Amino acid sequence: MGKQKRIAIYGKGGIGKSSTASNVAAACADEGYKVMIIGCDPKSDSSITLLGGRRIPTILDLLRLGVEVTEEDIVFHGYGDVRCVEVGGPEPGIGCAGRGIIVAIKTLKDICKEMDDMDLIIYDVPGDIVCGGFVAPIKKGLVNDAYVLTSGEYMPLYAANNICKGLSKIDTRLSGVICNSRSVTREEEIVRRFAEDIGSKLVAFIPKEQIVQDCERDGFSVIEKAPGSDIAQVYRDLAQAIMSNSDSATPTSLDDERLRELTR
Amino acid sequence: MAAKDISIIHPRPSSIVAALYTLRDLNVDVAILHGPPGCSFKHARLLEEDGIHVVTTALDESGFVFGGRRELSSVLKKVSEMFHPKLIGVVGTCASMIIGEELSEPVMDAGLDIPVIEVEVHAGYANNTKGVLLTLESALDVGVIDKEEFERQKVLLEEATEVEKRHGAASKEYLAPSRGDLKYKVAQRIIELLREGKKGLVIMNAKKETGYMFADISVAIHEIASRMGMSANVVNMANLDVSLGLPRVREHAHNIMHDLKEKGVLIHEITGGLDEYPIAGNVVGDLIAKKYKDHDFAVITGVPHAIPMDHISHMEIIAVTNGPRQVLPLKEMGHKHVVVEIDLHPKTLGVKHIVESELGATMREIAKEMLEGPR
Ligand SMILES: Nc1ncnc2c1ncn2[C@@H]1O[C@H](COP(=O)(O)OP(=O)(O)O)[C@@H](O)[C@H]1O
Ligand code: SF4
Ligand SMILES: [Mg+2]
Repeated sequence: MGKQKRIAIYGKGGIGKSSTASNVAAACADEGYKVMIIGCDPKSDSSITLLGGRRIPTILDLLRLGVEVTEEDIVFHGYGDVRCVEVGGPEPGIGCAGRGIIVAIKTLKDICKEMDDMDLIIYDVPGDIVCGGFVAPIKKGLVNDAYVLTSGEYMPLYAANNICKGLSKIDTRLSGVICNSRSVTREEEIVRRFAEDIGSKLVAFIPKEQIVQDCERDGFSVIEKAPGSDIAQVYRDLAQAIMSNSDSATPTSLDDERLRELTR
Repeated sequence: MAAKDISIIHPRPSSIVAALYTLRDLNVDVAILHGPPGCSFKHARLLEEDGIHVVTTALDESGFVFGGRRELSSVLKKVSEMFHPKLIGVVGTCASMIIGEELSEPVMDAGLDIPVIEVEVHAGYANNTKGVLLTLESALDVGVIDKEEFERQKVLLEEATEVEKRHGAASKEYLAPSRGDLKYKVAQRIIELLREGKKGLVIMNAKKETGYMFADISVAIHEIASRMGMSANVVNMANLDVSLGLPRVREHAHNIMHDLKEKGVLIHEITGGLDEYPIAGNVVGDLIAKKYKDHDFAVITGVPHAIPMDHISHMEIIAVTNGPRQVLPLKEMGHKHVVVEIDLHPKTLGVKHIVESELGATMREIAKEMLEGPR
């Protein structure tokens, strides 16, 4: 239990959190680690590429039916035996998705005995920490490593910076910054400088590759569908970096001027 | 997957309030409601009668939007200066829980050197016993109660929930409140039964402090039977074991027993502790089966629906409850007379002696006229 890694990957919506999470999960599973991925986005799209494109019933779907939920109802085994769970949520514009995450996480914690045996648990969270519920995994002490994913563009960096502000407000340390490339000039350098300026470090640079989207369309991770590709190796290296990382620091967010400066 | 419970549409006791009462039983000096100023207002006020301070963080619109971490830690500091408490409870509400408020952070911020029982609770649970359970779990965590007492309470809570589902407030989709039968008529009937020399059981199966008033009915019947020379026909049972339950609950049992003794009321059978009303009913049932099957009538006070009908269905039953929604289910169980002691609970808060009940007072009045004749 002490060595268990429980990570959350934060970053702007659409920046690549879910595809990074599922590829890292698959790579760790290949290494023999017991892995669980918990999708906390009401879109419930975190684990699709580990399940051959299949959508699974979400915790909140079942709670909504008012039935007693068991472990078998919500935990599904995907590629490399990665345990896949989706929190789910209300339709956009209805109810309270934040409360949904709180309730679902609690349900999962209560009924899922397997969680204790995992070497790695990845919480794939929605893009913006819009309210208390979205940091429930952290606040309930379920996450011990937080990562921020960003490209070298201004808006994703702006979002990453905001997330750092939020993390320091809730006294949460940051274990590293991951750059998911959008092929911007000097991108690696920009994100590395950002990471260092906030008091963290760059743990991986993932290039932008069409193959990621091709595999995704067919319902797979690149680890599964294109294990020989260069980018598969990048995900493997990232997976290893995450499993062996023991550094973290409370991030200090940058002011807007400094942020613009970086990307100029 | 288990099927869903029936959907009940009458409002029922709140888990937040249940948490407050449990904190009181755990002898906290202050309970802080983390939520809107009006939440649980009536009970919060009443509890002050019992010597605990109930205050609120008074979250407003802005608190709902921005959270109330600072408000809670500042109220914690404020009450510690104002009341010098030795033990504090913090209770969540729907509003604070929905927005994902964490109670432990503000408690840490406040940095007090006394234990704080944090109860993350809201009013949205089907059974209010959930509020008790959450409080006890947290009390166990901070070492205010031990594992043994916790497990004992847990069993009682599960049974209490079942009792309510079987014949109580959770037994029907809708239960209309009722004032029950006329106290005057029922009092008359009890006296008549005594006078005819019928053999009666007077069973108190009360929940905690409500015993202060339900015990008065046992006292009144004893007084009247004695004056008629019929006291040998009456057997008293009560859940007044002074060695069971949380300290405050034992103290109630002790106080009531002391008063009963002083008034010369002999309790023939002790059926359990004052918090054991959900299971003491079965003890009563067994005792009747073994020793008192031949009795003609039974006056059952407190939580009468916790007593199984198996061995009493042939008796004339007089039930005394404080729940207006309990009248219908009791009638359906086969209780011939059902009396409601309206607003009983508030009158039993903050007291140390038996309090006169309306039914008791009515019986005394009738008996007086009957035995001394009208003036
Ligand atoms: N390194 C990459 N190269 C190419 N496409 C990528 C890469 N990373 C992510 N994508 C694509 O970007 C889109 C959004 O990614 P997704 O993981 O869903 O983002 P998020 O979870 O952050 O909202 C997906 O279609 C995904 O395939
Ligand atoms: S809705 Fe909940 S928080 Fe609001 S007043 Fe009622 S019990 Fe309290
Ligand atoms: Mg996503």
